[in-house]
Order: sequence, then C-alpha cells, then structure tokens
Amino acid sequence: MENILKAAGLKKYYGKGDTMVKALDGVDLEIERGKFTAIIGTSGSGKSTLLNMLGGLDTPTEGSVKIGGTELATLNNEQATIFRRKQIGFIFQNYNLVPVLTVWENIVFPISLDGQKPDKKFIMKVAGMLGLEEKLDSLPNNLSGGQQQRVAIARALASKPSIILADEPTGNLDSKTSDDVIGLLKMTSQEFHQTIVMITHNPEIAQMADRIIRIEDGRIAT
Amino acid sequence: MGEMLKTLTRRSFAAGRVRNLIAVLAITLTAVLFTSITTIGIGTEESMTLTMQMQKGSKSDGDFRNMTAKQFEMLKEADFIELAGLRMPVNFLSNTNRHNIEFDVLDDVQAELTFCSPTHGKAPVAYNEIVASEQALRELGALPEVGAEVTIEFTAHNREYRLPMVVSGWYESTSDQLSMMWAGIAFRDAHPDIFQFTYDQDRDMAGTYCSDIIAVTASGLSKKMEQEAIHMGGNPHDMEAENYIAATVNFVTNMPLEPEIAVMAALLALLFVFCCYLLIYNVFDIAVMQEIRRYGLYRTIGMSKRQVRKLINRQAVWLSGIGIPIGLFIGFFIGRAALPVIMASLSEEYANVAADVSPSPVIFLGAALLTAITVFLSTRKPVRVAANISPIEAFRYVENSSGKRRERKSSLGADISRLALSNLGRNKRRTVFIIISLTLCVVLLNCVGTAAGSLDIEKQVAFKIRTDFAVTSAASMNGMKGFVHREDALDEQVIGTVSAQPGVKDGSPIYKNTVEDTDVTYEWEHLVLDEGIVDKDSGLNIRFDENYMYFGTGDDRRPICNVYGMEESVVARMDLREGETDAHALYEKMAQGKGVMVGVDVNRVDMSINADLDMADVGEIITVYKDGKPERELPVLAKAAVNGDDQEIGITCNGPLEVGGNGLYLYLPTNIYKELYEEPVIYKYAFNVEESQRENVTAFLEDYVNNVNPEVNYLSSQTAREDAEKTRKTINFVGGLVGMIFGFAGVLNLINTMVTTILIRRHEFATMQSIGMTRKQLTRMMIFESVYYALGASFLGVVSAALLGVTIIRNMLGSMWQYTFHFTLAPAVCVSVILLIVSAVVPVAALWLFHKGSIVEQLRVAE
Repeated sequence: MENILKAAGLKKYYGKGDTMVKALDGVDLEIERGKFTAIIGTSGSGKSTLLNMLGGLDTPTEGSVKIGGTELATLNNEQATIFRRKQIGFIFQNYNLVPVLTVWENIVFPISLDGQKPDKKFIMKVAGMLGLEEKLDSLPNNLSGGQQQRVAIARALASKPSIILADEPTGNLDSKTSDDVIGLLKMTSQEFHQTIVMITHNPEIAQMADRIIRIEDGRIAT
Repeated sequence: MGEMLKTLTRRSFAAGRVRNLIAVLAITLTAVLFTSITTIGIGTEESMTLTMQMQKGSKSDGDFRNMTAKQFEMLKEADFIELAGLRMPVNFLSNTNRHNIEFDVLDDVQAELTFCSPTHGKAPVAYNEIVASEQALRELGALPEVGAEVTIEFTAHNREYRLPMVVSGWYESTSDQLSMMWAGIAFRDAHPDIFQFTYDQDRDMAGTYCSDIIAVTASGLSKKMEQEAIHMGGNPHDMEAENYIAATVNFVTNMPLEPEIAVMAALLALLFVFCCYLLIYNVFDIAVMQEIRRYGLYRTIGMSKRQVRKLINRQAVWLSGIGIPIGLFIGFFIGRAALPVIMASLSEEYANVAADVSPSPVIFLGAALLTAITVFLSTRKPVRVAANISPIEAFRYVENSSGKRRERKSSLGADISRLALSNLGRNKRRTVFIIISLTLCVVLLNCVGTAAGSLDIEKQVAFKIRTDFAVTSAASMNGMKGFVHREDALDEQVIGTVSAQPGVKDGSPIYKNTVEDTDVTYEWEHLVLDEGIVDKDSGLNIRFDENYMYFGTGDDRRPICNVYGMEESVVARMDLREGETDAHALYEKMAQGKGVMVGVDVNRVDMSINADLDMADVGEIITVYKDGKPERELPVLAKAAVNGDDQEIGITCNGPLEVGGNGLYLYLPTNIYKELYEEPVIYKYAFNVEESQRENVTAFLEDYVNNVNPEVNYLSSQTAREDAEKTRKTINFVGGLVGMIFGFAGVLNLINTMVTTILIRRHEFATMQSIGMTRKQLTRMMIFESVYYALGASFLGVVSAALLGVTIIRNMLGSMWQYTFHFTLAPAVCVSVILLIVSAVVPVAALWLFHKGSIVEQLRVAE
C-alpha cells in the first residue's frame, strides 16, 4: 500500500535552555492510504502537537511532513491554508461549527471557501449515512453534541480530502454517543476510502482503529 | 465581600485595557458633546442678552419715564428697587450727520446701567463737562481726549441751544448709529430753563425724570412697577393721559423663555442623549458579552445578582470618573471656540456683537449630569443581562439571537458576503444601534448641507443692492434717518468724482422726491383718505385709508407718493412683473410721457407682489397734480416688484416711509421727473465696476467717505454678500460640528464592535482558518460585515434625508425669505462614501492589531 502521509524527524521545541520543553522529539511516521490510525497518549504527551504538525497548522522546529507528495514546509501561510481545505479534513473535540451557518452550509463551507461547487449528490449521500438529512436546514445551536460532531465529520468528508485528522472527536460526548460517532466515522471512511488519523486518550475508542500508535514524551513508543 | 468586590473590580478593570479605553472615549465624547452644546447654548444666550442690552442701551431690569422730581424721590424709596439711576433727557443733538447723539443728564448709576460710564477720564462734575462715546466725539469733529472741546446744538422747549462743552471722559461706542452724550447734575442746575417740567402739557421730554432700575427680584416685577407708578400718582396705562408714566420691564434682561425654543432645545438634548446612549450602550453591552463566562463563573461560585450588578456599576462609575472630567474640559474649549463664529452670523442684525462665555458651574454641572444620566441609562440592560445569566448558559454562550429561528433556508454554497450578513444577525439590537447612530450622522449632515445650500446669498444681496456699488449721502444710509429732506441729497460733484474712477460703468443717478416736494401730488381710483394728523418731524399731513395704510400728503392734501426719476439702465435692472415687461420699450413710452411704472413691495419669502400694498392696476390712470391743479394723466404701463434697493438702499427703508408712506412707488424717466419737480435732487448714485477695478474702487470709496467727504456713505454688493455668507458659515460650522460628533460616535461604535468581534470570535476565526479559510478571506468577511453596517446606515440615511428634506426642511426653509429651497442629497452621499471607506478600513486595522499569532495559539486561547 502507498503511504499518503510521511513524517520524518519531527521535532517541536518550545522555549530555551533550562525551560525548554520538547513537545515532539524526533517522530518518524508513515500512514497508509485508506487506513484508520489512532494516536493515543496521556495529557501532555505531545499528541495534539503532532496532529497540528501533520495538518500544517503548526510548523515543526525540525523535520518534514509530506502529504501526498507535498512537503508542507515549502508552503507559505496562504498556500498551507489552501492546501488544507483541499487535502485535509479536520474534526475537533468541540466541533467548531460556524454558528450562523446551517448544517448544510457548514458542510459545504470549506468547498465554498475554495470557490468550488459542492458535489451535491456525494454530500447528500454522506449526510444520509450520518443521519443528517432532516437537519440540513437547522442551525448548529439546535443540535445535540453527537449531531454536531456528525456535521463536523460530514464537513471533513465533503471536500474528499486525502486525509482526515481528528483531534479527540469524542472528547465532549458520552460513551454511547462516542461509539456511534466513531462507528460512523469508520464506516464512512471505508465507504469513501478515506484515510483517518485520530487522536484520543481513550484506549477503548482506539481499539476500533486499524492501527494504534502510542506517543509518550514526544516520541513514538512501540 | 465588599473588599473582595473592590479587588475584583480593580483587577477586571486593569485587565480590559482596550475595552476601558473605548468606554472612556465613549463617555468622554458624550461629555464633550454635552459640554460644548451647553457652552454654546448658554454662551449664545448670555452674549445675545448682553448684545441686546447694549443695543437697547440698558442692562437694567426695567425703567420709569416721564416722572416729576417729586415722583422720582418717591421711586427711590420703593422697597422692591435695589438701585435706581437718574436720567433727564434733553434731546438729540442737531449738529450731527452720520452718528446720532442723544444728550441727557445722568447720574453714575444710570451711566453704568446704560453702558456709558467713561472708560477713559472721569464722570462729568462741572456744569460744562460731558462724557461721550468716541464715535460721538469724532462726529462732532473732536478727538477722544479728556479736555477736548466740543460744541453741541440741540432744541429744548422750542428754544435752540448752542453750548461749548469740555470732555471729562469718554468710552468706546457700541453702536455705529447712535450713542449717548451725558452731562452731570451740575448741568441741570446751571440750566433750569432746559429742565422745566412741561411734559403734561406739551410732551416735551426735557425736564422729565427717568430712571433705570435694578430690582431686588425679577419675579412679579411688571406688576410691582405698575403699582408703583399708580402709587406715585401716575397713569401707566394710558399714553394720552396727562400724568402718563411709562413703567416697563426690560424684556431684554428678563427675557421670557419662548416655548418653541424650549421645545427645540429639549428635542435636541434628547437626540444627543439618544446618540450617546447608542454608543455607551454598545460599549457596555460588548464588555459584558466578552466576560459573560466570567460572570457565569462568579455566579457559580456564589456571587449574588446584586453583587454582579454592583461589580459592573462600579466599573461604570470609575470609567465615568475618568471620562467626564476630560470631556468637560475639552467640551468647554470647543464650545468657547465655536461661540464667536456663531455670534458673528448674528452681527448682521445686531451690530457690535459681544461674544463671550464664562466657565459657569451651570454648564459643567448640567453637562456632567446629562452624561451621567446617559451612562446610567445605557448600562441598565447590559448590567441586567450579566446579573441574570445562569452559570450553565454563560459557559455555553455563543452570541446568537437565540431560539426564534431554528431553521432557515440553506443556500447552495456558503459565500463570504452571505456569511458576513448572517453575522450581523447575531446581535440584532447592536446592529440596529450602530446603523442608527451612523444614520443620524448622515441625516443630520444632509439637513445641514441642504440648509447651507439653500441659503440664497444672491437673493439677499440683490434685495439689498442690485448694482456693485451705490453711493448716497450719509444721512440716507442712516437707519434712523433715511432720505427725507432735500438737504440729504447727494452732491453732483460726488457723482463726478466717483464716476471718474477707472472701471466705473452703468452709472446712474437716481432722483427722488422729499418731504419738501409737497407741490406735486397724485390721485388714483379707489383712494379714500381720512382727515389725518400732522407728523411733527416732517411737517407732512399723514392721512390713512380704510386699511390703515398711511400716505404723506402735499399742499392739496393728495398723496405725494414716493417718486423716483431714473435712467433706462436702472429700469432694466428692476423686476418687471405686469404690463410692459420689456424695459427698453417701457422706458421709451415713459420718456414720451405716455405713462408711469408702479412698484409694489414684494413678499420676501416667495417674491410675490404684496397684495396689501398693490393699489393700482396696469391701465389705471394716475392723475398728477401740480399746485393743486391737474397737470397730466399717466396710465400705469407696468408693475414692478420692488425690493430694498429699489426703495432706498440696503436694508433701510426709513426714507420712503417718512415721505410717501405706504403710498404708491412711482418710477419715471429722468426727463419726465425733471419736468414735474422744480428742484429735483439726487438720492443715490448706483453703478457697476469692472471686475479688475473693484478692489481699487472699494479702497477709494472707503478712503473717500472716511477722510475726504464724511457727508457721503456707500454700500457694495461685496459687503452685502459677506454679511450673507456669515450665516452660511455658521450653519456649516455648527451643523458640521454636531454632525461630526454624531459621525465620530457612530464610527467609534463601529470600531468597538469590530474589535470586539475579533476578540470574541477569535476561536471561531481560528476554526475557519484551520478548515481552509485564508487570511484574505477572513479579512474580506470582516470588511463585508463592517461595510454592511455602513451600507445599511447609508441607505437609511439617504432615504430619511430625502424624506426629511422634502418635508420638514423644505417647510422650515420655505418660511424664511433668505432661503430658496434646493433639494440635495450630495452631503448624504458624500458622508455615506466616507462612512463606507472608513468601514472598510476599520476591520483591516482591527484584524491587523488584534488577530495575531498562529492558528494553534488562537485555538488554544479560546479554550
């Protein structure tokens, strides 16, 4: 299988001298296309930092991240943003929906930002699988947490990105809803051949992934 | 807990520096607005009162006139009077030309109350000492110096006096037209013949006692003065009574507040309070929104609603404590700087305007109180919101107009301009407030612009003078005299001198009859006159018709009318309305003796012919009588609408009223005029000047009338225009100032909202950026949001300005003759464009200043 994501020698240091914090200290990672990978670790282990590096939200002190052959370090801020909305789907712990946009508008938002026409048929199919057909005209405030997170998943899938990065997507949800959401995430990714990298501190959730990577003190523990 | 609350207030206060700065700015602006407005208001009132007192010549509370010596002694004892001056009028001096001088005997109290205490030298003591104004002394050919000698001439009890006097002191005059010369009690004692009391028999003022008084209290003064007059044996009601005593309150000093002005002032104050309310409300609303989670936290850990309220109120008090004093300080100076500009525009009607304002506590207390009230009112709602927030809600709080709309039609995409529009809906009240405050600025400035643009300068100038220049004798231009007698005529030599100046063209002497021309009279149809009375000054018999129009009549008791003899060029300049309106043809016919042109006063507002004075129709025959015999018949060939320039000059029209009265204005060619009148005299010389030479001619005339020939005076269209321009300046200045303050409040509101939006939605922005919104797109979205406010305000502003313009403003301006309504939206559009530009710049700057750091940092900050 081909690797969609390749990180080599990733380091992220904060501060200097005695107060220097090594959030990431030399991480090498390869993610295969179409796989569901879970990254687990305790608080402060560096997993969120790693995800931010992989998504191009943050720049590493050292090392490189390549997604689908593009070296993120070569992109400037603007280019990185544009790359992100085409190639990466994000799912956040607190959903981060735009409160003034309806569910449908939230889903197609990144595509609109790119100036593209959304693939209506495809998105309706995604919404159908996530059980959102009835809610497309609702505003996010009127949805439950699980529903909001499903909208976020739909948004991440909508632009058919190369990779979906999920940062504790179930962190704000109860366990029953968490299972549902992860189930749907996994199902849709299989259906649409999506690659998913998910951060969680919950081993049970991680069990549902194809591969689990554990991170400790900024390094990958095997 | 009290101590804790204080600490908390202090810490929160220190934490929100940007927010506090904006709040202080808002409060300061409010205080500036109120202070400058009250300063201008009170200053204008004070200055107007002083100016009018100076004009009236008295700052007393009231005055008594025509008393005997005994009555005056009684008056001094009256218990409601604090100070009583003594004035014994003699008469106007007869040896003056341009400046009228009243000669009285005064005591020091009276001199002080009537603005004629000597500022140089001392009050008169010896019988031959006088104090007079600088201008009066110059008029009499003396220099304003203590010890200068002047000769005064006057009439009293039908006897002419010519007395040499010595100047003991002098003062700067406050009026170009008139001033007071006074002697001391010693003069009275030296001339008992002048001061015999004969008022009850012949109404001669010389010998009467008059007194300007200062009352203990102004309340009920009119009644008290009346009673006092009756008490001393006088009759204050019947002017014809032998024992008539005038006892009148000085309404200039004790001016009653006109209800219209009070209502206008109250409305204006309300508008200001409202404007500032919009601003301060938003500042506090935003401040509370920003910290809603913190208030939720306080509530969770046990702070009572009352305590939350106290916390915010205390911050409001602190912010006011900083903002109000700064605002009062700045506002007072703005107001004081603005005052002379405003007063200058009033100087046309009130010569020698005094413009000053003292930093009275009323201004500061009033303005501070108004500001405090505004702050209090504006903070009520935000305080209530903060106090009533439930802890859970506070944590979940995302600014959004809650609940009402659960769904709405999704658009196909989510384009940025639509997203921005949706964002406006998040807080409707705030959006509405910002739009209204910006709208106010647009509307107000448009009203100001309309008023300034509608000010018809040329109409005002044309009313005063149709040519570039006019020269008359000094008496003709004296508002109290006018062209009445042959001796007021303009010397032909003067015309020769003036017309010899380079650039002078279209010159025409204008002849006019005087009170001496009683041999030529006129008669026309429907003229029924009563017996009439004899005017003491002119000696004319004045007769009235059934409409109480009055006519000066001649030897045969027929009206002498106001008759002018002029060149064709003058007729061509006039406003011919009916009959033969071709000036050339008309002049030809008139020159052949085939008729006459009649002039009728115009109604200045709409420039229509004044129907009350329209007494002869075109075609009607006017019979000219000479020495009581019909001399010729002149049909009315044309009718002209006449203005000030056609009647006399400038704004004075005293002469025609003294001569012909309301009787017809008849305009004849020079040749016919000379045939009719045996001693034709020239009243004025009107002429134009080549543009390149105007300055030279002005300089020449200025020098000529001041230094060469003081018997002559001149008026130019330039000075008339400058007078009219002053009004426009004031409108622009005051209106602009107020409009700017409103605009500034609106823009401050906008800035505040933009900055807050960026701070409050930092997390949302970070999210959008993380899922692919570029910085450019974010900026564009914010520009859209901001521009929508301005667009809304512009639209509303232009529409309301248009509506107001064609209704209220048109009516208001339509009732004042100086204005010709011109509808315009140019100021509204200009302001709108400026607002749009500012609104586009504000978010860019705000983002640049407040949206810093990487996405990751911002995501973290928000959590």
